[in-house]
Amino acid sequence: MEIIAGILVLLMIASAIAAASFQDLMNAVIASCIVSLLAALLFYLLQAPDVAMAEAAIGAALVTGIFVIAVKRTKRFEE
Amino acid sequence: MEIFGMILIGIGAAFLLIGSIGIYRMPDVYNRIQAGTKCTTLGSFLTIIGVGVVQPDWFWKTLIIALFVLVSNPVSSHALGRASRKKRISLYDKSVVDKTDEFTGQQK
Amino acid sequence: MRKLISIILLGMVATGLFMSISQIPFGEPGERIGDHFINQGVNETGATNIVAAVVVSYRGFDTLGEVSVLFTAAMGLGAVIGLVRRKKTHTPIEPASLIVYTGCRFLFPVILLVGTYIVIHGHLTPGGGFQGGAVIASAFLLMYLGCRGKRIRENLSRGLESLGGLLFILLGVTGLVIGRDFLFSFLPEGEAGNLISAGIIPLIYMAVGLKVGSELTGIIDHLIEDTDELPE
Repeated sequence: MEIIAGILVLLMIASAIAAASFQDLMNAVIASCIVSLLAALLFYLLQAPDVAMAEAAIGAALVTGIFVIAVKRTKRFEE
Repeated sequence: MEIFGMILIGIGAAFLLIGSIGIYRMPDVYNRIQAGTKCTTLGSFLTIIGVGVVQPDWFWKTLIIALFVLVSNPVSSHALGRASRKKRISLYDKSVVDKTDEFTGQQK
Repeated sequence: MRKLISIILLGMVATGLFMSISQIPFGEPGERIGDHFINQGVNETGATNIVAAVVVSYRGFDTLGEVSVLFTAAMGLGAVIGLVRRKKTHTPIEPASLIVYTGCRFLFPVILLVGTYIVIHGHLTPGGGFQGGAVIASAFLLMYLGCRGKRIRENLSRGLESLGGLLFILLGVTGLVIGRDFLFSFLPEGEAGNLISAGIIPLIYMAVGLKVGSELTGIIDHLIEDTDELPE
């Protein structure tokens, strides 16, 4: 259990660094979606299914959709 | 019954493994999507149904989840493939045939 | 220089967080009010999901505040989007392919059903108004993306949102009138584990789910509104 949680945390950190360093903002949005998805999995493993559900629905689905729309309405590449 | 479920889960896991190897090995986006979709759809379907067989209380719920995966996974992969085709992501240079343009009637 | 400053700031925040959190034992059962909730929650409220009991019953007033925070955010977004409305260019949008269209139309009621299930069973199983509302809104997001041109009527979403908020406050005030305080559970607790039990918790969760779902759908609707006409 602790090994799985550790792997998830490492993957989350890697995705977060990737999200911060991408020049293409669409890739950054997808990377932050991965962070949310892994966070939901981690919440479920730590026996908080309520929070996991909220994180999966809001963080992974809605926020990603809203960010994609926002990126489409503004600029796609970071300067 | 439990052994049957375990066998189902094992076959599903094997398909998932083959799918991930395929994603690693295939040369371009379209081949990767194909490997990813077919193997993960069948793999996750068998795994979820296997869980339902091992735990008979959950069988109907797992059946619904499996049907959901069975519909949503190919549809989303189709959307991905079509989007990458629209963006003109190039094919593998040893590809033999490409009928997208004559099928959709678009100019290159 | 900017990077250096931001790294130093992040380091300071991390140290502060670590120093304040490292004192708390991680994952061990608390000894103060949490014990009371875990031991007496089912008896006092009739909800088998302790999180629902805490969110709606013990801390019901905080939930009202939370919902109004979301309302304020949605209103601010609507104001900002309304201010910078750009001129429409009327390039035709490309429709999604037949497979995506059919798949979305097939999946939409299924996701809606799951969201409603999560809302209604909030007091029995994990989930509740916020989670179910978010799932319902994601179903509408799928519909907006897959079937371009289909729209929920703005009056309908606004009306449902107002209805949810009104229902919440009416339930609270009814508790104030009948019982002793705001959001007093005036319905019988019933047998824990049944669908119709736990007093007013399911009703409040339905109000919250209605409100959150229509609000998030409204946000998506506002944002996607003139993205349909692609920028030139």
